[in-house]
Order: sequence, then C-alpha cells, then structure tokens
Amino acid sequence: MGITRRGLGGVALATILEASTARAAVGVLNVATIGEPPTLDPMLSTADLVGTITQHMHETLYTFGTNWAPTPLLAAALPDISADGTVYTIPLRRDVKFNDGTPMGVDDVLASLQRWMGNATRGRQTGRSIAGIAAAGDSAIRITLTEPYAPLVSLLAFNNSAAIITPAGRQGGPVGTGPYQLREHKPDQYLQLVRNPYYTPLAGPSQFYGGARRPLLDEIRFIPVPDPDTRVAGALTGQFDYIDNLSPEAFPRLDASRTARPVVLKPYGWPVLAMNTKQGPLADIALRRAIQTALSPEDMMIAAFGSAQFGEPAGPMYPPGFPWHSDKGVVRYGEANPEKAAAQAKAAGYAGAKIRLLATRQYEFHYKIAQVAVEYLKLAGFNIELQIADWATLTQRRTDPALWEIYVTSSPFLPEPALNGYMLEDSPGWWATERKRAAVRAFNREGDAGRRAALFADIQTLIYDEAPIFKVGNFNSLAARSTRLQGFNPAPWPFFWNATLAA
Amino acid sequence: MADITLLHLAVRRLVGMAAVMLIVVSIVFIIVRIAPGDPAAVMLGPEATGADVAALRTAWGLDRPLAVQYLAYLGQLARGDLGRSIFLDRPVLTALQERAEPTLLLSLIAIAIALAIALPTGIAAALQPGSAFDQTVMALCMGAASLPTFWLGLVLIELFAVRWGLLPASGYDAPGASILYRLEHLILPATTLGLASAALVTRYTRAGMLDVLREDYVRTARAKGLGERRVVLRHALTTAALPILTVVGLTIAALVSGAVVTETVFGLPGVGSLVISAVLRRDYPLIQGALLVVAMLYVLINFAIDMLCLVLDPRLRT
Repeated sequence: MGITRRGLGGVALATILEASTARAAVGVLNVATIGEPPTLDPMLSTADLVGTITQHMHETLYTFGTNWAPTPLLAAALPDISADGTVYTIPLRRDVKFNDGTPMGVDDVLASLQRWMGNATRGRQTGRSIAGIAAAGDSAIRITLTEPYAPLVSLLAFNNSAAIITPAGRQGGPVGTGPYQLREHKPDQYLQLVRNPYYTPLAGPSQFYGGARRPLLDEIRFIPVPDPDTRVAGALTGQFDYIDNLSPEAFPRLDASRTARPVVLKPYGWPVLAMNTKQGPLADIALRRAIQTALSPEDMMIAAFGSAQFGEPAGPMYPPGFPWHSDKGVVRYGEANPEKAAAQAKAAGYAGAKIRLLATRQYEFHYKIAQVAVEYLKLAGFNIELQIADWATLTQRRTDPALWEIYVTSSPFLPEPALNGYMLEDSPGWWATERKRAAVRAFNREGDAGRRAALFADIQTLIYDEAPIFKVGNFNSLAARSTRLQGFNPAPWPFFWNATLAA
Repeated sequence: MADITLLHLAVRRLVGMAAVMLIVVSIVFIIVRIAPGDPAAVMLGPEATGADVAALRTAWGLDRPLAVQYLAYLGQLARGDLGRSIFLDRPVLTALQERAEPTLLLSLIAIAIALAIALPTGIAAALQPGSAFDQTVMALCMGAASLPTFWLGLVLIELFAVRWGLLPASGYDAPGASILYRLEHLILPATTLGLASAALVTRYTRAGMLDVLREDYVRTARAKGLGERRVVLRHALTTAALPILTVVGLTIAALVSGAVVTETVFGLPGVGSLVISAVLRRDYPLIQGALLVVAMLYVLINFAIDMLCLVLDPRLRT
C-alpha cells in the first residue's frame, strides 16, 4: 500500500500540505515551459516561447483561423486590396481597448507598424515592399506597397517578430489588447497573467487562433522548468496543467497516467540541414546535390525521434493538410546512396575540402540528426567535421559564411511559406540565385490562393534542384495536459484563452 | 600583542583578497567576451538575419573595442555598479538579491541535514574503528559521494513527488505564496544536496576524531575518570572541530555557488541556475556580476574560516 497524504500525520506537515494546495486553485492554469523567454516584446524576437506567452497579452491586426487562413483580430475585416495589389486598406475595430482602459486608435496602429518595420526581423522583411502607411479616416489604415506582396496579411498575423499593436506613446511595454495582462514577472520563477478587464472578444465561435478569444481562466502562470525529466514529473504529479516540449521517451508514462494526457501535435515541424551557398565548397551546386544523394532521411529521423510516431521522412516542404503541400519536384530525397554521391562529388572536382557541420546538443534531435548525417557523408568521401556548440554559439556562427558549410536547425510548419528563412536572401545560407529570385517574386506577387500554391510548388522544385537546404522529414511534438484542462485546442504555439479547468 | 598579530594577519589577507578579486574580474571579463556566442542572436531568435543581430549589437555597444568595454566595466565597478542584465532587464545586483533567498535557504537546510547526519555518524564510526558499523558507514559514504546529484534528485522526485505524492517536484515561489510553500519546495533539493555533503563531512569527522582520540590528553582525560560522553564531546570534538569547520565552510561556499545541477533539476530560481541561464544566453553583465559576487563570497568565507581558525588555535598565528 502506498503512502498517501491522508496517511500522514503531524501538524507541521499538515500545514505544509495546506500551503501546497494553494497551487491547485480552480481557474489558475500552471504552464510548464522550457525556460525563460529572452524578452516579453514579441516584436523583437522570433523565439517560439516569446510568441507563445505574449500572444495572450498582445494582439495583431490579423491572426490565423481554421486551416491557417488569415482572419481579422484587431482589424474589422480582411483588407480591401486595390486591383493592382499595391494598396491595402485595413478597417479597424472600434471596440478595442488596451488593458489600461484607453481605446485603440489609428495612431496606435500606425506607430506600432512603424516600429515593427524598424525593429522586427519580419517587419524589416516586409518593410522592403512598403512604400508608406497612413491613416484612412479615423478607423482604418492604408498600406501602400512598392509592388504586390501577397504574404503581407500573413506577416501581419504572425505571433513572433509580431506586428503587435501597443499604445503610440508606450511602444514595447506591457500594455496590450490581449485577453490577458501581465500581473507579475519573477524571471525563472513565474510569469503571472490575469484577465484584461477591458477585453472585448470577437463575436461568434472560436476558430483556431481566430474568432472569439474568451479569457475563461482567472490566471495563467508560465513557469520555467528547464529540466525535461522534471517537466515530465510535474505532469505526472499534476503540479502543472500544461507541460510544453517533452521528449518522445515520455509518451508511455504520460499515456499510462491518470492525471495527465499526452498531447501529440501532428505534424509539428521539420528538421533541416541548411547549406552555405555563399562561400566555401558548398557554394558549388553539384556538391550540394551530392550531399542530397548521400543522406538517409529515414535513418536520421529514426535516430532523432525513435519511431514513426514522432518523426518520419517526408520530402515535400509542407505535409498534407497544408494548402502548400505538393510532391512536385522532390528529387534525390531518400536515395541514401553514398557511393553515387561520391561519384557525383568526384565529378564536381571535390578534392577533400573540409565540410564543417554545426549542431547543438541543446536540441538533442538536432545532434542525433547531425551524427547520422556525418556518417553518411563520410561514406560518400566527404571530409566532414562535426562541430558541436551551444545554441547561442551556433546562432552567432551561422551568421558568418566563413565559419560553416552545414548547420542543423528546425522549425514548426509556418502558415505562410514567405515566413520561412529559405525564402529570404539574407537568411544564413544566403540562397540567392536568379531562378530563386524570380520564383519567389512571382509567388509573393500572386494574390490568388490556388495559383500561389502552384507557384510554391515551383519553389519547392527549385529547392530540390539547387539544394540550398536538405529537409530531413516531418516531426511531431509532444506536450502534456492535465486531465482537468478542458476546451484546449492543440496548436504549435499553445494558447489558453477559451480553456477551462475542471474542479 | 596577540590582537595586534591577528589584526596584522587580517589586513594582509584583505590586501590579498583585493588582488584576487581584480584578477577574477579581469579573467571573467576576457573569457566571457572571447567565448563564442552572442546575446543579440539569442534575443532575436532563430529567424533573425545577420544584419538584425549586428544592429542590436551596435545598439548595446558590443561592437566597441574590447579594451574600451573593459575600461568602461572597471569604471562601472568602481562606482559600485555591477551593470544591468540584458535579458532580465534589471540591475545585476537586484537579480542576484532576488536569487539569494532560495540559494541561501537551500544551502543552510542542506548543511543542517549534512551535519545532523555526519557529526553523530562520523563520531560513532571513529569510536569503533574497523567495526562492521564503521565499514558500513564508510561504504555508504563512498557510495553517496559517488552518486551524481542530478540522479539522486531525479530518484527523490520519482519517489516523493511522482509515486507517493508527498512533495512538489519542482519550483519555489508562486504569487502570494507563504514561506511554508517555499520551504516545502526546498525539502527535496536540500535533501539531495545534504546527503551528498553528509558523505564528505562524515569522512572528515571520522578522520579528525580518530586522530584526536589517539592523543595523550584524551587518554589522560579518560584516566582521570571522565565520562566517555564528556571526553568525546568536550575534549576530543573541540580539537577535531578545526578540520571539520574547514570542510563545512568550503561545503557551504560550494553549495551557495555550485548547487547548479540541483537547482536546475528542481527548477529552483537560485544563483546557480541564474548563472547557467546567463551563460546559455550570453548575458554578459549578469555572468560577470554573478561570478564576481560568487568569487567574493568564496574569498570572504575562506577569510572568515581562516580568522576563526586563528582565534581557535593561537599556534597558527606564528
């Protein structure tokens, strides 16, 4: 018979146990995160954790609804787009207030978008296509583009490096329009959000990130728990109601638990080997193709995720279910043929130049993928050197083309292809060819959804032909939720409006 | 005369301490700055471009020559300013003060647990050298000292939190939480550290007591007919206390500054976990400030123990 709380005596222990029950108050959601967010300004950072937390405090003009379609949030409707695709008129909601009670106005939106274009990675990316932003009356803004740029609404909708709307005179602060507001932040201890008393949800049903966002929980507390085993223990004990970012090895224990349920988001993301197309041996397209031929995505995915339940090889850049999914142009994927690759490299004049592969152990699956890649590339005769660094070092080194040839990274499937780094020319890897430029330009100019999907398939074809990256496969994420958590809708950046806790 | 000698020794040690601190400041500054990694890249996230990172580095003054940054840092220290944490957006000193409570409480409880186990066990083992009890104690000490603390921590979490539901697995504070809530969260980590420290202190206690128990004056005390309890606690332990005190002092210093693994496993927001997260993010001011404070703590604790030993044993003053 196991020991239970009821079986324990003693005044001191009883007092302690009373104290501990405070954490189980109904309406207070405890979320275990992998760590502390680097900032609480979602404009500044592209880190997923920043977006996950701050989306409860700050909102954007648009967000993503069912099937990742952009849908209005602070805007009153989807934009009115001129016939030539260069003028977007965005009507604003009139019922929005910041959490300090002041109403959101045109000036706030204009100031926020200007700051976004000046400070945010995605804002600067978008700003290259923007000729000007101005008020269009007292409840609308007008964005004028230098040329048609179809990803604009998606970029305005994304929750990291986000175009959040904050008061004109207090940009970058905690005052926002979200369903929750910051009460207290003790770094590395907790970040406490409480309801925004001035929040007015959209009418109608919720639609993924869009539609009605009802702050049903009294509080949300984001608690950093860096150790993955401790996060699992916190799930099994019921200490946390939602536990993010767990290792696949935890699945059987969570599946057998009576207090927690596993949350598998399928598909979640894709690991990738980014190649340096700007400098060094892999500036040669023939060598990059030889690397494609050599690698075994199947072995890499098995090493990284253990079973097909959490990761499997898949060549298309987007999985089925996304409008961007297509099999078009997927070549040399999964050949896993080092002998053939060796012949290709020899034909390309490869003479044993060092190939430096950067990876981190902070994301263990990156490291395992790197280990398998190294072995296959050695078999193909490449002089490969695996360089392990912590993530901070890797993110610094990858910005210098003289320091690497390949690095391992990963990303969630982003709702709009234009958000992916490989679509940009200044993203590490620096893929910049005339064919790419033309294909991306055509894609970005096209406003029709069906034609955009076809144009993205052309980009995918180009990715496999010019090999700037090697997509390894699709992986699923594992999180856990308490059996008390209800109304929760799994998403890559989990959100907790509309969720409740059973008593 | 004795007081003057003590004062003289104290002043000499203090001058040495100042020199040590200047060396620590310089080495930490140089190591932190030449280590690869960049706080700007961490702040901006995985999708940031090189241009974004460079712009933020310039805004933070990290693109200035290293010598300029170093001199600015020394000037800042001279004004008593440890700088401002990049990621926590608060003064380094404030961040350290916030983390001092869990670390100090953890260390004190851990050392109390260690002493509660180690002193009676070490003394008892020394009184029966070579006995089955003594050998068992030494074997257990060897085992406990060999266990990685993270493993011990995870086992305690599995048993006391997951299996038996007696104690929380991790965390420390919550909005509106009482000191009891916080103490509850310290029980498992303090036990983890306490058990590991107990192994060391037990061995030192046993060794110290064994040496002293063989001394003539102990034999004389027994010959005079003093009770065993009085001989052991009053006469032998007082003398054996010096090496024990030294190891306890160093253990406290190690706990305050080095409970990194335990703090990480139990999600305790202490000084150790602060330093680790600062290193992973390359929060330069915080790394420099935290290491400076920890080094100073070490030096001060060593100084205090040295002084205590000088007071307890006048022979050391010569």
